[in-house]
Amino acid sequence: MNTRTALAAGLAASAALALAGCGGKAPAAADRPENVIHVLVYGDATNKVEKQIVATYNKTATVKVVLDTIPGADYQQKLQTIINTKQAPDVFFNWGGGSIQPFVKANLLLPLDDMIKSDPGLKANFLPSVFNTAVVNGKSYGIPMRGTQPVLLFSNNKVLKEAGVTAPRTWDELLSTVRTLKSKNITPFALGGADQWPTLMWFEYLYDRVAGPDLFTKALNGDRSVWSSDDSRKALTMLRQLVDAGAFGTNFDSVKFTDGGSPALLSKGKAAFELMGSWEYSTLQEASPDFAKNDLGFTTFPTVSGGKGDPKNIVGNTNNFYSVLKNTRYPDAVRDFLKLQYSDEFVNAQLAIGNLPTTTNTEQFLGQAASPDYSRFQFNLVKDAPAFQLSWDQAYPPAAITPIHQAVQQFFNGSIDVDGFIKAMQALPPAA
Amino acid sequence: MSQGSATTGRPNYAAGAAATLWLLVVALPLWVLINATLKTRPDYTDSGPLAPPSHPTLQNYTDAVTSGFGRYLLNTLLVTGAVVGIVLVLVPPLAYAIVRGRSRATSTVFRVVLLGLAIPAQAVVVPVFYVISSAGLYDNLLGVILPTAAFALPVCTLVLSGAMRDITTDLYEAMAVDGASAARTFAQLVLPLSRGGLSTIVVFSALQAWNGFLFPLILTQSESTKVATLGLYNFQTQYGINVPGLLAAVVVSMIPVLIVYLFARRALIQGLMGVGGK
Amino acid sequence: MAQLTATAPSVTAPRRVRRPGGPNVGRPGIGWALPATAFFAAFAVAPLVLVAVLSMTTWSGLGPPQYAGFANWRTLLHDPVMRTSIWLSLVLTALGVVAQTPLSVLIGVWAAGPQRNRAVLSAVYFVPLLLSSAAISVLWRALLDPNFGVPAQMQWLFGDGNLFGHRSTAIAVLVFVSTWQFTPFHTLIYQGAARNIPQVLYDAARIDGAGRVRQFFSITLPQLKNAFITSVILMVVGGLTTFDTVLILTQGGPGTDTTITAYYMYEKAFKGFDFGTGSAIALVLVVASTLISLVLVRATGYDKMRSELEGL
Repeated sequence: MNTRTALAAGLAASAALALAGCGGKAPAAADRPENVIHVLVYGDATNKVEKQIVATYNKTATVKVVLDTIPGADYQQKLQTIINTKQAPDVFFNWGGGSIQPFVKANLLLPLDDMIKSDPGLKANFLPSVFNTAVVNGKSYGIPMRGTQPVLLFSNNKVLKEAGVTAPRTWDELLSTVRTLKSKNITPFALGGADQWPTLMWFEYLYDRVAGPDLFTKALNGDRSVWSSDDSRKALTMLRQLVDAGAFGTNFDSVKFTDGGSPALLSKGKAAFELMGSWEYSTLQEASPDFAKNDLGFTTFPTVSGGKGDPKNIVGNTNNFYSVLKNTRYPDAVRDFLKLQYSDEFVNAQLAIGNLPTTTNTEQFLGQAASPDYSRFQFNLVKDAPAFQLSWDQAYPPAAITPIHQAVQQFFNGSIDVDGFIKAMQALPPAA
Repeated sequence: MSQGSATTGRPNYAAGAAATLWLLVVALPLWVLINATLKTRPDYTDSGPLAPPSHPTLQNYTDAVTSGFGRYLLNTLLVTGAVVGIVLVLVPPLAYAIVRGRSRATSTVFRVVLLGLAIPAQAVVVPVFYVISSAGLYDNLLGVILPTAAFALPVCTLVLSGAMRDITTDLYEAMAVDGASAARTFAQLVLPLSRGGLSTIVVFSALQAWNGFLFPLILTQSESTKVATLGLYNFQTQYGINVPGLLAAVVVSMIPVLIVYLFARRALIQGLMGVGGK
Repeated sequence: MAQLTATAPSVTAPRRVRRPGGPNVGRPGIGWALPATAFFAAFAVAPLVLVAVLSMTTWSGLGPPQYAGFANWRTLLHDPVMRTSIWLSLVLTALGVVAQTPLSVLIGVWAAGPQRNRAVLSAVYFVPLLLSSAAISVLWRALLDPNFGVPAQMQWLFGDGNLFGHRSTAIAVLVFVSTWQFTPFHTLIYQGAARNIPQVLYDAARIDGAGRVRQFFSITLPQLKNAFITSVILMVVGGLTTFDTVLILTQGGPGTDTTITAYYMYEKAFKGFDFGTGSAIALVLVVASTLISLVLVRATGYDKMRSELEGL
């Protein structure tokens, strides 16, 4: 046997194997593994609750649940690789909105309306603004399974007191607060620009305040002209003004949130505020417990006078969801597993690790939360919000995440201007 | 074999100074590594990465060891051992053929090795997934071992053929005159003289397997096949990293490879000492 | 060595085994290379063929690939990010070779010496290579944090410490960290080669009155030629086709300022779920890198498989 034959044989064999599997049809329900349901979740330090719920379910179940955790890096990529093969999970973690849209389009998900008909609690027990994030084309595709994470304005109260300022209620107040803080050599807002998504939060809030939630909804549905509307330009100009005023300092693009860089700025008094998701609280409790106990303040984003958005609107991550594979072999078992996501045990376990679940029975247990005042504040905020805007990078399909992140970073550091940003956003793939 | 200083007898100050400078550059992140693992999270936030801990603690190491990391390390050990084994079986004959083969075919093979060197793993990982999945090896350590070993082959072949190349033709001729077959030449001349190259490729392939992340990520799924690099994610959430905890797990997973390196280095020195007098 | 050849016939003649004659006596045939080649072909080359096929399709990973002809290639041709990425890849690779080679040669030669302390220090120098990407990412981001890391302590040098916010400083950081990480890899190559240099050469030179520096340049360096070529090929091909350092430190940022071609491929395939374009970029990289290494090998006579010690 000479080289060429050997090479050719090896090539042909693998090519055949691979093409056989490449993007072919998803296996039918009867071909899926027997007597187990695979539940796939994002692997991180908060898997504790998921493991607990699975253990509870398995105590009384005939069809057992096997919990698989996939590390966060490239979770979506891993999911997309296996979802069309026999390795696909029956139930999997996702962020709702755009993250499940490709799967819905490829007809891989089970609409949960039938399950909801047989157990109305699967919808009724969750806050509507959150539940609706996983509704695509009028059908429900996801059940909330962790906690909600609205974006709040956090403050270092000691710094504020010493500088003689308070948390701004309006945009004009914000600008003057920035001026005062800068004169005292304090960075007004800590920003983890290196992670890019903290920067995005500023855009999300300002667009909502200035233009109301409709602008983004229209853009998501394919109307690109809204990005160049007057409201959009106004919001961008305001942001440019804020950056130029030095509100974020100069080195924010080298500071990360994820390794504690920007929370440390807040807790050590180098910055006065940080606009961040509600996980900031538990992050600071672990990283700077004294600060979190004594000097950490939290409030809502300022209003913009003349803005079309309701001041009670919020932005952030509505929750994470469990979606179900269309060809799952044991839909009844899956339904029973999903029912546990609004159980009292679930609520208590989530509250214990600092998450805020979005079930209707959460309210009764708020007193037992790790930080009752904070949880109550958050819960009421979410409950009373007329609109809860899902983070832009989760509302759009996953392919849009990188362009959105790049655009917001480049706008803040001046590489692109208002028109450049508009162009970048108009180039995004629509969700519809 | 030694260099200037042994032959001239004077201590090499310039080299010593440069070595010390590089030591500082290398050691600074290592200081941060060890330093951070001895701090609690609040202490780490408070004192930053550079200052020593105010209240040193071993809690991070305890957490790392008890978090199921033992299982992950075992899997990593299995994968690494198997990969090194495959490399040691496949690469020396290949390198030997490349260096000493006379046919057209063997020089084509050398070019294929160069091609292989240029293939980025990320580009082919999805097709590899389909190959592995069709072969029924998904979520199986063997499914991780095979592609990892395959991707380690080009580098190891290049390095080992470089080492084998340094065996002079008259040594080969001596064996040929002696009537030695290719196999005997391989066993009695080539292998002993390439001990340095062999220990180098052991180290390289072990590192490739030990720190491999992409293949385990795409090709495994359950707890039982998880390797250490994936296990590190137990120390982070979607929004933050427990820096001291993660780094403690890193130190724990570094120790076995360090041991492999120290042994391999021994082999490197000893093996070549045996060649003495050349 | 001359002695060996002279005595061989008389010593071994009675034991000689009859073999078919000719210059290929005792040479390994292609059979020696087959197992490794077949194994490699199955896992790396076959998927590469698929990549080539995929580059002519549109595929998101879900559903079957759709044939798209040369559409991906045409888009790439006009893509400014792609063009910049090629330039960035070349710059980073060149800088990497320039930074790492002298360092690896010097340390490798130094570490080849038998002194005890060198063994201990070599072990320390080696540790960066043992660290996984996650570790290196966390360590260097912590070290380079503008407010709490080294830049904060040395503001006279680093200014506001915004190293990751500008292209030029981000490139500098990437070169520095990859040098820190990969120098041990190349040091091992040079160390192995340096140990092979026969003492007789140095003795002869010393007798001729050559000093240490002269010995280094006229003996050590020429003897390291093969190691040098191995190392440079690895650095060039590695620099063009891997993006680990970019991924863990800058993620191609700020914006797209450090998006090298290999990272762009990853971004397109893994984050943009556009496997067609990602595969096209991958193919460009594979072809370009292979060509470069083939040229290097030809130009330096590396493929003649000659030892530097010939004729001694």
